[in-house]
Amino acid sequence: MQSGLVLENASFRYGTIWVLLETSLRVSPGETLLLTGENGVGKSTLLYLLGGLLPATSGRVLLDGQAPSVTRPSELVRHGVRRGFVFQHGGLLANLTALDNVLLALRYHADVLGLDDAGVAQRGREALRDLRVAQSDFHTLPAYLSFGVRQRVALARALAIDPNFVFLDDPDQGLDEATRQIVLDLLVRLRDERRITLVLTTTDPEVIARLGVRVLELNQGRLTSMQRA
Amino acid sequence: MRSTVPYDPRVSRTPEQRFVGRLGRDAIERYRRARALLGTLGSAVLAVRTPGVAARRVIRRVLLMQIFYTGFEAVPLIGTVSVLLGATIVIQTELMVPAADSALIGKVMIAVVLRELAPLITAIVVAGRSGTAIATELGNMKVSSEILALTSLGIDPPRFIVLPRLIAAVVSVLVLMVYFAATALAGTALMGVVIANIGLGAFQSGLSGALTIYDLGLFLVKGVGLGAIVGWLCCHYGLEVKSSPTEVPQMASRAVVRSLLGCVAYNTLATALFYWTVGQSLR
Repeated sequence: MQSGLVLENASFRYGTIWVLLETSLRVSPGETLLLTGENGVGKSTLLYLLGGLLPATSGRVLLDGQAPSVTRPSELVRHGVRRGFVFQHGGLLANLTALDNVLLALRYHADVLGLDDAGVAQRGREALRDLRVAQSDFHTLPAYLSFGVRQRVALARALAIDPNFVFLDDPDQGLDEATRQIVLDLLVRLRDERRITLVLTTTDPEVIARLGVRVLELNQGRLTSMQRA
Repeated sequence: MRSTVPYDPRVSRTPEQRFVGRLGRDAIERYRRARALLGTLGSAVLAVRTPGVAARRVIRRVLLMQIFYTGFEAVPLIGTVSVLLGATIVIQTELMVPAADSALIGKVMIAVVLRELAPLITAIVVAGRSGTAIATELGNMKVSSEILALTSLGIDPPRFIVLPRLIAAVVSVLVLMVYFAATALAGTALMGVVIANIGLGAFQSGLSGALTIYDLGLFLVKGVGLGAIVGWLCCHYGLEVKSSPTEVPQMASRAVVRSLLGCVAYNTLATALFYWTVGQSLR
């Protein structure tokens, strides 16, 4: 079994537009990979593809040897593939509070994760506190939270499940400086810990420079390696 | 040498070929839609067998909430509609047959209210009230990447989203049908006493004379089928929304219209089969 993230001769198209053309890629376990490219080139789509949220038009994606396109999401978790995904916009369940958003996956997989009710609650609260979400926001619906807090809740949700893969779509976009620094510090910490395979899209040179990891640029369906910052 | 120019089937086609091509494309599109429609139901039904004790607890909670919204909150509306409809039927029966006896009114009530109106009106109310809500909610979830977020967290959308709504619609329609029938009969009895001057005892014996064991079967078949149609179609069209908010009201409207058509067709089919199989013994 090949661990980490593997893309095998994968292509993807929206209608007649090819976003990715027969591309192979390997991201080792614990590695951090940056994807960049111009606006509209398909970075987010590629991230969804790598995260197994979109099926490839041809070729395949493997996460720790499991193909998410043919395996049920809950089966992936049972096979030890735990993903966290932070979307550019949205993604938080609108009818659940910030805390319940974080607790949902923990409750759903409590038996697989070996957590009891108290353990679920504790891990959810810790995840929010780690991202410096104020206690007063725990029981607030996402619609009543600021964009920055929503993104931090989304990050907390992604990390609470103790993932082995995390995908972040432009995680620093639209954030104020203080929140941006919290997110960047977290990314640097995750990069250094090398416990999680991290893939993120960005167009921000500062993020590229600060992380100093492998950078791939998407252009006309092709991924090309950029020099490390 | 092989041409490198991509093959374009539209070049140099006769009108006949174009017509056949269009027919083929239509057929493929219809096949794709039918497959997606059956896929929504099939994946939800198969999800029942997915392992996971903790997941089952979470889904049970979602199911209870859906039953509350779909069933419990519809009680006042169903009650009002059924009492008024029951009263209307007595008035109409009295107009047509001025000396209508209790046996006739009982027979009309069983045939019209219990076998036809209770299932159909209940399904229509549930489709109009909760079906729209289901399709709109799921459509909005698609637009705001909530369904993708659930998938990324290892939560199966057919199990977490479709299955509880499907079961809730079936349970709610069944329970509301019983409530509809009970309150409609109460409305009828009240109006019968007031305008047709029939005694409550006579009305009751008229009802029990017309009621058969087959009615229970028909009631169940209609309740389960109509509830499943509403839950299934409203979930399916809600999840058919792609990424634009403008698609949400379009799909919500389509979900309700198709659900209503499906319910009317299913109700007619079930009635026809009922009379075909046991109709002779009821005359």
